[in-house]
Amino acid sequence: MGVSKEQVESSLTAKLSPSHLEVVDVSAGCGAKFTVEIVSEQFEGKRLLERHRMVNAALAEELKEIHALSITKAVTPSQWEQQQASEKTQAAA
Amino acid sequence: MATMLSFTSPTTRAAHSSLLPLNFPAQTAPKLAFHRIPNSSSLIFPPISLRPLPKFRADKVRRHQSVVVSALSKLSEAASVAVPPETDAISDVFPSSSGVYAVYDGSDELQFIGISRNIAASVAVHRKSVPQLCSSVKIGVVDDPDRAALTQAWKTWMEEHIAATGKVPLGNESGNNTWVRQPPRKKADLRLTPGRQMKLTVSLEDLIDRLVKETKVVAFIKGSRSAPQCGFSQRVVGILESVGVDYESVDVLDEQYNPGLRETLKKYSNWPTFPQIFVNGELVGGCDILSSMYEKGELADLFKN
Repeated sequence: MGVSKEQVESSLTAKLSPSHLEVVDVSAGCGAKFTVEIVSEQFEGKRLLERHRMVNAALAEELKEIHALSITKAVTPSQWEQQQASEKTQAAA
Repeated sequence: MATMLSFTSPTTRAAHSSLLPLNFPAQTAPKLAFHRIPNSSSLIFPPISLRPLPKFRADKVRRHQSVVVSALSKLSEAASVAVPPETDAISDVFPSSSGVYAVYDGSDELQFIGISRNIAASVAVHRKSVPQLCSSVKIGVVDDPDRAALTQAWKTWMEEHIAATGKVPLGNESGNNTWVRQPPRKKADLRLTPGRQMKLTVSLEDLIDRLVKETKVVAFIKGSRSAPQCGFSQRVVGILESVGVDYESVDVLDEQYNPGLRETLKKYSNWPTFPQIFVNGELVGGCDILSSMYEKGELADLFKN
């Protein structure tokens, strides 16, 4: 049995209280592969490795079932704003 | 042939008539005539310049064809073609067919005889890697791209050159790697143990610990580095190769020589997935982290120290 997108979302929300979270099941619904984009204040002052560790820890239970988890973004709210802003200016340019 | 002539003759007549200031204003007529004069040679060979038959359109094709005949018999009789400085122009001058080619430097000294399945591409590569040695090239197209046929053409030219000069071209001497693109030799994957039948005297943790601390860059991947068996591992190998860093790889799927590695490594690094990349004894992360650092251009710094 795979893991549902909602399970992943609720675990991450409970443990990392993200201000933005996007979980995508990229295994066509069988719950084996997910990509995660997450923005959380708890990432402040932490290296990328530690942030990924936090996500992995939050999903410790789910990871037993998940075959592949790709963390595409793990950023702080301020980084997130910067990225959104630069994406906007790029799109406008 | 008859149709070709009948087609070209009106054109040549037109060109010819423009030489005469018949209906043209006095000022434009000489100009026109002047432009036409080079073309007037077309009166002698009308089909070449005026009739764009696919077969003859590029006169270079004709040249190559004539080269083939003489080149395959003799190196000394093959036409020498100057290598254009612009890479783009090389494919205009040289054919992309297979054959043998001889490269000459600025003082017309034969530097290298090679064979290729795409002469233009090979010349472009040489020109790029050793421009000072690539002034002109003689080619002999070999229609049969069979390795034996190519080798035979190469032998013919080599023997002719050796007979004439008593020397092997510098670039063909053994040990000279100027002209041969050496594919970077892929290292073998590291094996942590001598095999699962042997009892280890140290723990697997210790082996991992020593390996990552004594080696600058280690990638634990699924599959071998020459044939990674998972997309993420493949991506990591691709990034490491493109950065050009020297690294060791360990196949975590190799149960013969790395038995139990996956579980032990997950605990050692406190990281749940593979691949895992260690630099100077520290876990950098998996594919996502490495990709993100690669895209931000942070890897060069990481591998510097």
